[in-house]
Amino acid sequence: MAYQPKPPDGWLKTNLKYNKHKGSWAWILHRITGLGLTAYIYVHIYALTTLTQGEQAFDNEMKLFTTPVFKVLEWLLFSLVLYHAFNGVRIVLVDWADGAKYHKKLLTVVYGLGVVLFIGMGVLMFREPIANMFASLR
Amino acid sequence: MKVTLRIQRYNPERDSEPYYQEFIVEAGDDKERILDLLHQVKWKYDGTLTFRRSCAHGVCGSDGLRINGRNRLACSTLLRDVNYKKPIVIEPLPSIPIIKDLVVDMSDFYKKYEAVKPYLVNKSPAPEHERIQSNEDAEMLFESAKCILCGCCTTSCPSSWSDENYIGPAALLKAYRFVFDTRDEAADERLDIVDTPDGIWRCHTIFNCVEACPKDINLTWHISQLKKRVAEREM
Repeated sequence: MAYQPKPPDGWLKTNLKYNKHKGSWAWILHRITGLGLTAYIYVHIYALTTLTQGEQAFDNEMKLFTTPVFKVLEWLLFSLVLYHAFNGVRIVLVDWADGAKYHKKLLTVVYGLGVVLFIGMGVLMFREPIANMFASLR
Repeated sequence: MKVTLRIQRYNPERDSEPYYQEFIVEAGDDKERILDLLHQVKWKYDGTLTFRRSCAHGVCGSDGLRINGRNRLACSTLLRDVNYKKPIVIEPLPSIPIIKDLVVDMSDFYKKYEAVKPYLVNKSPAPEHERIQSNEDAEMLFESAKCILCGCCTTSCPSSWSDENYIGPAALLKAYRFVFDTRDEAADERLDIVDTPDGIWRCHTIFNCVEACPKDINLTWHISQLKKRVAEREM
């Protein structure tokens, strides 16, 4: 009797089981940040619907967005933008400029630039509120 | 020294699901190859263990296996290349049907390989001697011609895992091998075959293939050259 070969595992299980390295982590992060940014676009458009509910509703919402929780969320959103944008440039270089030969170095640049700009943005966003907080303690 | 091998077993006559079996084998030193340890299991402990191998020296490409979570050739992997203090996990190549134990069904892999016309196409009459090529032109093909068709790259590719129609890095490498051959006349035909969503554009530059390739071929670079060539053709 002839036996059928056993069909392989699904893509998710195979992804989880296979060893990761720099390149595959870069791809996974690119996917996650891409999905995150797509989800954000919908949230953003939904938030704008208060425009149809009059000036007061919109102003109230904007006030909500200046609260510390939303400031931190905004900062995290910036990290998604940073990674997705810089890694996007890396992918373009891999496809069009022999980047496949030095993709790990490019990735180091992506992470380095990302972290520096992320911290820089954090300083810009939170320097004043934190200084004010300490001033009020005195 | 004693080394533990944790081998994935599957007998289609008996098992509904693959399972793992551990064997403790004796290794001389850390320069011992994984293939020799598999031989030891088969010859000394369990003759039913099934795996492919032919030349045993990294040329035929039959013993592509997933060793400690990564595709490589059992004959080109030494103990010192893996962590042998813990059990060494040996599994068949992923995302490809299993026939028995470590033997997988490669027919789909070969079908995709054939699809890119992996042979020289030249309609002009053959000259008296060979078709001459300059050193520089031949140099462009050296790396891609090293491929031994072991399947480590295509079965390590996340794009292949999620899209069974993706032609895969091995076939794309072969397409490069002939598209960039100055003696070949069917470059356009091959570019038509790979210029599809299931062709070069499914490559998301994840570099799993490059990590897996036992011949150190930079497949992603070769695929990027095909992408460039296709884009140039459009312009």
